[in-house]
Amino acid sequence: MDKFILNVIHRPELVPEYINTDAVEGKSNDLGAKEVIGESLDIFKLQQDIAHRNGIKCTIQMTYAALYNDEAIALAKKYHEEFGDEIAHTFLGVNCEEFREKYGLKDPAIWLYHMDDKKRIAVDSFERFKEVFGFYPTSTGSYYMDAELIAFIKEKYPMVKIAVATCFEEGPKVFRHANNSWYTIMDGAPWTAWVPSKYNSQAIAENEDDDLGIVAVPHLSRDLLAIQDNAGDMFGTHPQNVIRGMINDKDRLPFQYNLVDQYQVMKKYNKGYSYNLVYVGPGWMGKAGRWETGYEILVKSYEDFLAYYGKLKKEGKVDDMTMSEFGDWYRANKAINEPCCALWKDTLFGTKNQVFWYADSQMRATVEMKMGGAIVDLRPYASKLRRPVGAGTKANQDASYPYIVHSRYRAGPFVHYAGEGAIKSAKIRYGAEEVDLSSCRSTAQYEEGKGFRRCILRPVTVEFQSLNVQIETAYTFLENTGKIEISRKVVGISDETAQVEIDEFLTSCWGTTEYPEDLTGCTLSVLGKSGERNDLSYDYRCREFKMEDVSAVEATIPMVQTKVSLIPQFEGGTGYYEEGYSFAPNLKIGVYKKVGLNEALVTIMQLEQSEEIQS
Amino acid sequence: MSQGITGPINYRCPQCLFRAIDYDLLYDKDVDEYYCRRCNWEGEELEILSFYSVYKQQYKHMLKRWTVNEIEAKDES
Repeated sequence: MDKFILNVIHRPELVPEYINTDAVEGKSNDLGAKEVIGESLDIFKLQQDIAHRNGIKCTIQMTYAALYNDEAIALAKKYHEEFGDEIAHTFLGVNCEEFREKYGLKDPAIWLYHMDDKKRIAVDSFERFKEVFGFYPTSTGSYYMDAELIAFIKEKYPMVKIAVATCFEEGPKVFRHANNSWYTIMDGAPWTAWVPSKYNSQAIAENEDDDLGIVAVPHLSRDLLAIQDNAGDMFGTHPQNVIRGMINDKDRLPFQYNLVDQYQVMKKYNKGYSYNLVYVGPGWMGKAGRWETGYEILVKSYEDFLAYYGKLKKEGKVDDMTMSEFGDWYRANKAINEPCCALWKDTLFGTKNQVFWYADSQMRATVEMKMGGAIVDLRPYASKLRRPVGAGTKANQDASYPYIVHSRYRAGPFVHYAGEGAIKSAKIRYGAEEVDLSSCRSTAQYEEGKGFRRCILRPVTVEFQSLNVQIETAYTFLENTGKIEISRKVVGISDETAQVEIDEFLTSCWGTTEYPEDLTGCTLSVLGKSGERNDLSYDYRCREFKMEDVSAVEATIPMVQTKVSLIPQFEGGTGYYEEGYSFAPNLKIGVYKKVGLNEALVTIMQLEQSEEIQS
Repeated sequence: MSQGITGPINYRCPQCLFRAIDYDLLYDKDVDEYYCRRCNWEGEELEILSFYSVYKQQYKHMLKRWTVNEIEAKDES
């Protein structure tokens, strides 16, 4: 397969987030202002013209307001007839006079409403769509749609086949970037299209029974390295977002083309397929400009960006589709539990940094090469965690799928006397010396085979006072099993008779933000080969235990209904747990053994749903 | 002192920008000066632009074009 697919979405919003500046400044809340509606439609027409000029087919997502605007309706019909654009539906842009009068509500975010209001609004807008166009939409979307809302829509309107269901990594970083005011708190989903689980729309479905019935796509396609330590809203297939990040010199934005080209490279890791979604709301191309940038440059950036896709299309390098066409294509060509894979390289900061992302129905994992191949972000989809959001739910605004490792929110490598924070890494010991592999930067290669994807790091040299040792790390993701095989092989050593001790460990916790969550009641276990075991109920008392010749070490985190195990694939390993304390609010499990030249320490890390179900 | 308004150009606070926060500055037309309502920054336009220029230095490859082939070959040895 050789397929790079593009979805371009436009919406006649009519009351865009950023154009209605009087409302923004608190001077007015007139949602029917003719000037605002007129400008919004002009931008919509301009965006459509730019796309069509470059031969690109669009998906027109009709907002609630647009469904009550004769000109927007007529335009949608015209574009559909003339260019084959899809007339689709969106929950963005609900705010308008008709909506306010009917509901007396102001929330712009469908996912944050009470469930009864979500249902009313969904039925109301779908029925209005049918009334206007004579058919029900087959695609919809919002910044976020939880599994419960998607399930309701799918049951009521089974023709819906695809939805914009999340914004990739719009979690705490984006919240902060927007002065703690932008409630798209939704870390933890795949970065590209997936079939969502009935349990949680951010997780990939496991099988037919778990299939929520649609294909989900993220709101934009983002730089998978830049978003790790920065707000994602500056690094996506959205040229005005790139300008927001000041990654431009006037109208020069080479980064936006680098981003598209890197997504083309992603075909290499996804069996010949890759995907881009472009979705620029009209508010980003307003006449008043956006922050420091004037209208002309904002428009030119969009013209240039779509011209690049147009050029790729002419060269046969991209297939433009409507959302529904893509939904059909995905169903016909990809498995329900299709893994997503990416070895992403820095093209912006001038570093050698690389990061490997992997997601399937059991997990989303991020391997960081500049940290010696440590797993720095781990989301346990295996836990099938239900997490409805919106008013009246426990999660309320926080839609993120919880992590059990997050090395940026929760410290990561050793920083001070509290030890390391959340990280999956290994320590190499020789005599009294110890080195964490996360301090040994590397780069990686990719391999795949039947049922597995592999990320192999180039060997790193660990330097002890009297010994140098080269270690090669390899992660083999066993697709849809919840298992990662982790290999640490000694591929070189300055004294061939020497052995080093390798300690394969996991420091874990849980949460969705930077702040610690309560670990009381988590269970730490060491299991012996003969069935003996030692269990500890977490209570911040700094207790430790170790056992020789173990079969596994485990941690159960009931708050996210997850069990994580390290299972040595070798004999004679010593396993341990460390409880942690309030200044080091993590739990740690590990297995260690001495190995020599050309020997490897192989361990399976397994994620499972714990027996204690919380949701 | 007069009411702060959006300036001729809607600049974001340079100091907040360095803390990864987008925060609009207000403009005091009486003294031709911008100020931030969140942090303790105030200054002239030239100073804002100078901060912005430093901010952009994090993007060492901001103006570098990486093609498909170049990305594939990057750091492969």
